Amino acid sequence: MKKRQMYIRMVTASLLRRRSRMVIALLAIAIGATILSGLVTIYVDVPRQMGAQFRNYGANMIFTATEDVMSAESVESAISVIPESELVGAAPYRYETVRINDIAVMAAATRLDEVQKTSPFWDVSGDWPAGPGDIMIGKTVAQTYNLKAGSRLTCTYAPVSEGSSDTADPEAGEEDIVPDNYKDFTVSGILDTGGNEEDYVYMSIEDMEELTGEPATYDVCELSISATSDELNIIKDEITDSVEGVTARLVKKVTESETTVLSKLQALVLLVTVVVLALTMICVATTMTAVVAERRKEIGLRKALGASDSSIVYEFMGEGIVLGAVGGLLGAILGFIFAQAVSVNVFNSSITIMPLLTPVTIIVSVIVTAIACLIPVRSATDVDPALVLKGE
Amino acid sequence: MSLLELRNVSKIYGKLHALDHVNIKVEQGEWLAIMGPSGSGKSTMMNIIGALDKATEGEILLDGVDIAQKSAKELTDIRRDKIGLIFQQFHLVSYLTAVENVMLAQYYHSIPDEKEALEALERVGLSDRAKHYPSQLSGGEQQRVCVARALINYPEIILADEPTGNLDEANEEIVVELFRKLHEEGTTLVVVTHNPEVAEVAQRTVVLRNGKVDHEMINENFTGKIKHITLQ
Amino acid sequence: MFIRMIAKAFVRQWKKMAMIAFTIALGASLATAMLSVMMDVGDKINQELKAYGANINVVPKGNSVISELYDVGDENVTGAYLNESELGKIKTIFWAFNIVDYAPFITTEAVLEDGSFVEVTGTWFNHHMELPTGEQLDAGLNSLRSWWDITSGRWIDEQTNDKSVAMVGSTLAKKEGISVNDDITLKGIASDVTVKVVGIYDSGGEEDDYIYVPVDIAQLLGGLDGKIDSIEVSALTTPDNELAQKAARDPGSLSVSQYETWYCTAYVSSICYQIEEVITDSVASAVRQVASSEGTILEKTQLLMILITILSMIGAALGICNLVTASVMERSQEIGLMKAIGAHNGAITGLVITEIMCTAVIGGIAGFFAGLGFAQIIGHTVFDSAINMRPMVIPVVTVLVFIVTLTGCIPAIRMLLNLHPTEVLHGR
Repeated sequence: MKKRQMYIRMVTASLLRRRSRMVIALLAIAIGATILSGLVTIYVDVPRQMGAQFRNYGANMIFTATEDVMSAESVESAISVIPESELVGAAPYRYETVRINDIAVMAAATRLDEVQKTSPFWDVSGDWPAGPGDIMIGKTVAQTYNLKAGSRLTCTYAPVSEGSSDTADPEAGEEDIVPDNYKDFTVSGILDTGGNEEDYVYMSIEDMEELTGEPATYDVCELSISATSDELNIIKDEITDSVEGVTARLVKKVTESETTVLSKLQALVLLVTVVVLALTMICVATTMTAVVAERRKEIGLRKALGASDSSIVYEFMGEGIVLGAVGGLLGAILGFIFAQAVSVNVFNSSITIMPLLTPVTIIVSVIVTAIACLIPVRSATDVDPALVLKGE
Repeated sequence: MSLLELRNVSKIYGKLHALDHVNIKVEQGEWLAIMGPSGSGKSTMMNIIGALDKATEGEILLDGVDIAQKSAKELTDIRRDKIGLIFQQFHLVSYLTAVENVMLAQYYHSIPDEKEALEALERVGLSDRAKHYPSQLSGGEQQRVCVARALINYPEIILADEPTGNLDEANEEIVVELFRKLHEEGTTLVVVTHNPEVAEVAQRTVVLRNGKVDHEMINENFTGKIKHITLQ
Repeated sequence: MFIRMIAKAFVRQWKKMAMIAFTIALGASLATAMLSVMMDVGDKINQELKAYGANINVVPKGNSVISELYDVGDENVTGAYLNESELGKIKTIFWAFNIVDYAPFITTEAVLEDGSFVEVTGTWFNHHMELPTGEQLDAGLNSLRSWWDITSGRWIDEQTNDKSVAMVGSTLAKKEGISVNDDITLKGIASDVTVKVVGIYDSGGEEDDYIYVPVDIAQLLGGLDGKIDSIEVSALTTPDNELAQKAARDPGSLSVSQYETWYCTAYVSSICYQIEEVITDSVASAVRQVASSEGTILEKTQLLMILITILSMIGAALGICNLVTASVMERSQEIGLMKAIGAHNGAITGLVITEIMCTAVIGGIAGFFAGLGFAQIIGHTVFDSAINMRPMVIPVVTVLVFIVTLTGCIPAIRMLLNLHPTEVLHGR
């Protein structure tokens, strides 16, 4: 027991009383450990965080009606299949042809708050519709009617009589039978997407119900889901099989491309992590080597006093392990702070904590430190103590 | 039987014969000085006797056992168990206190015992400096810590390499006085020095020249007390 | 004597010096690699994002309004068209180099043998172009629709004289029972053509109901010789900023210098503007879904790489500082001796700094080239293409290495200057 005490006493004495050198060594290890834990955290978290960014591309899944239209309930139940944490947004659409100044325009009714999540790329000059009677119009529509944000317009809707299609014969003089519905709207904003959305007008579901006088049914539902393409396929099949009247489809353009780009990005971060880590670890090792090499004389003395090579190695390993552990712990904390800072700055969200990473960082630090100590200690113990003591 | 006997020992570095067929005997309890000018082979002799280095040829009998052909590992054990070393440059571990430096020798030898280490320091008159670091001690005090470290394991032979080389006269006297006490207690002492004053105190002096034993001198009126040559 | 001392230090302490040089080389290579990758990552990711297809859509002025909103009966007669002959001009605009891919589209209707209507689109598949600049480009659907699954058969290959051929959408193929190698007859508005089906694709979108054919076949069907109705352009763009947004609304609102900045920056809006300049009566608009998302992802990736670069640079810098400090401290004895024999602080500092700086230059140069190697490894492994070397990297790395090494010397030198020669020489 006494021997163990002396061992501990020597190790702590060396660590505490050679302060400047130990600070250098500790710093080196802490830097290495910081980079290790920081980069690994980022590497692991990047797919999740970047995946969220890729949701900018908009919907990656759509629901279409198996037949005709989907009821609000079936859409709700289909959405409930998707894990809430993965669902970014779900915007159901109902399309109806309305007339503005007697010209037919496609009107889409949707949940506008959800659209802002599923189609974040929509560029609206003016405001999104906020209250009842607000309408957002596509750029082309705005040009056609020469409308601006704040303009007022009136939509008319011809209710479809039972059995007839929307190609109703204009000669029938239906005005007598079914009068047109109409509703006044205020243009809240002009939509610019570069796609055919610019030809449509957008209003809330409630306004559409009021205009048509019919309860909401949906033609399409756009969903933005933060998941890998494999997970999406599972969700897709599950919804198509389990929910009556709803067919889920993947937006291939978005899902396939996301897989391609995301895997490249991850490979990039991985490779960068590996290169940076390898270089840093070597850097740590050289510093440790320099710190230990300084103590050749001491090693010579210990040998002269009758210490065996293994006991000298054992003592230096003791110091190395303590240094590695303390530096590793320090680095794990700093690395987490760094990863958190990156995550907040780049992705505006906090990082996932990986409890396993802390022990791993400490173990790697200990191993690297131990190896870094071992090399110079070995070379010092190989030398004749007489030579070392004579002072070269 | 002699405690230590060198038979035809040579140490050759390339073309240089640092030791050339040297024969020396050291008896149990004897106080021997090895003298000679720089380059005479003193340090090589010290390293070989101290089991720090191997001879190129010849036999080295310690306690009747030839250690000349022992492996590095066996030499380490011999140093640890049988030899106490005192160096000119003291070689104390800078981050350990005086008492810890003494305990270091115990640690490698057997079991560290702080009480015993403190007693050893008391013997060299440093019990009040036990908790000081080497940088807080004077040269003489550091050398006395070395002496304490050398004697702590009751070695069969204490080997001192220029023990007073870095010391002033007063400290020199203290160290020689310590040697005298050790001698009285029956410790075998081998002191390598080029200082005639220190050599003369010993019972017997071997003078080396060019790697060979030049002559031996027996101190007829041995007292173990240093006589300073006072300047006229 | 000064030079002699430095030379001696190198000869005698070559191991230590080699270690310092090695560490500096590591740091420099890290900095070089990370900076090179960071500066090029924008372009690389931009290339990858091309997988999302075109980010600019060019249509004739007023076309969409007429065909979709006015609900005109026969769009083929009244509709506006672009000229096929002008297509090559797209590769002559100021940002021609940034245009990586484009394809024209001409859509017409045809009747299948069983009497059902089908939309037939003529386009490029892997159209080979030799540009006046000597550049060669293969443009078309094969690359613009990288997400299409060819469920059976193959892509149309324009270079092997695939003439009367067609690709059929999976939904349509299933409905009509069409399979690869079938000959189908399309009755167009102007003439009838028999084409051979070479591939069936699954696009996951509405294109699954269409037939795609080479441009001339569609023109023949619809009697639209030399006409196309839209162009999709895939261009490498710079993420939009305020200026670009302002310009996108109305380029006329910019001042002369703003206009020049905008025109000479690869914003999607300035590329659109330049396309409109060369294609008669055209409207080029950004496909927001692709253009704005590209910008976001690009920005995030670059920011991520910048932060990783900063971390690794700090790591490398501290590592070098540390080692320099450690190795200078080791020499306290030697320096104590120099002080004892009368060296001034300035002389000692000069000696130490010169030594370390010589080492830094050697290490830095070696590291720089090693770093270029690392950058290329990353480039080839991840993006299958070389990382472009930016000359900017050289001064940045040089300054960095010097500053870091000098900083590393400071604590060590301060410690050395405070040394008392006596303490050192008496081994305390």
